[in-house]
Amino acid sequence: MVRRRSMPEMREGGVNVTPLIDIVMCLIIFFMLVAKIGVATGADETIVPPETLLGSRIEDMGNTLTLNVRDPAKVEQDRAAAANERPAPLPEFRREQPTVTAIVEGGTEPRPLWVSSPSGDRELARVLRAVVEKNANLRIIIRADFDIEYRLLEQVLMACAEARVKDYNFETKSP
Amino acid sequence: MKIKGAKQVHYDSGPNMTAMVDVVMVILVFLMLAGSFGGSWHYLTSNLPIKAKGGGGEVKPGEVQDVTLDVRIDPDPTYGFRVRCGDIATVGEAASLRNAFEQKLRAYSAIGTNPEKIQVVLSPGRSVKYQYVVEVYQQALLAEVAAPAGQDKPLKFTKVAFQASR
Repeated sequence: MVRRRSMPEMREGGVNVTPLIDIVMCLIIFFMLVAKIGVATGADETIVPPETLLGSRIEDMGNTLTLNVRDPAKVEQDRAAAANERPAPLPEFRREQPTVTAIVEGGTEPRPLWVSSPSGDRELARVLRAVVEKNANLRIIIRADFDIEYRLLEQVLMACAEARVKDYNFETKSP
Repeated sequence: MKIKGAKQVHYDSGPNMTAMVDVVMVILVFLMLAGSFGGSWHYLTSNLPIKAKGGGGEVKPGEVQDVTLDVRIDPDPTYGFRVRCGDIATVGEAASLRNAFEQKLRAYSAIGTNPEKIQVVLSPGRSVKYQYVVEVYQQALLAEVAAPAGQDKPLKFTKVAFQASR
């Protein structure tokens, strides 16, 4: 009499996840390489730049300095709205020049820079000149609201010209 | 008394990967959300400093000064802005702006002026909005005319500068 041997009981270990892990690892490496995390340029996120079709990307953001240019009346309105107050009237010398902020002189946060302070110090031009003297190929990125008036923007351009900036870049966004 | 039969066969399925897959998925979702591909920002580049009123650029010895094409930009209550470029006037609209610049390119080409030696100098009024200045800037760079006989590159303006407001 032939003794029948029954098939041994097989216990499946579940779904084979090895290929899934391989693919997920590839995706992680992809995102780690292409993602840009923690690049602090000091850009003011409340600024809405104008839209343009034309424009080029800047690959080396390490060689750039971003100037945030805003209308002081708008800055005061935003401050008053956040504090639930009425906007305070600005003195003439504040109204006539833009509010410029940038990360300069080793700082980690953008700080205000006077185009022309009440004492006559042309701080923006002075700071830019110091930066350009250390790095003649510095690229200035001008980030300004789409509805700012040219009379405010030109003061920044003139400070850049005074500091002998060679490379200006106007930040815009794709439509 | 329990008599044991054939030896039970045990298939080893290896370490349990479920926890690892969970952690890896969380890392993946984090990177997808936290990272960015550079966003939708791009830049209009200029290497010409702003010109003071009535001033010209520095000219090196032996170098021929660029021809300047003055473009006035004024505010307009209906269209936002109006542009005057010599004998050409247009109101704020991308197509008509580009046509105006292309007319100028043809005119310069007809007299043999190389567009690369032309500086388009934008002269906005004090109250003109930045977006309109940028629009004129962009249209000056987008204007393009077919290359004349003997040349392979189309004609385009390559130098755009700003002037202090009037």
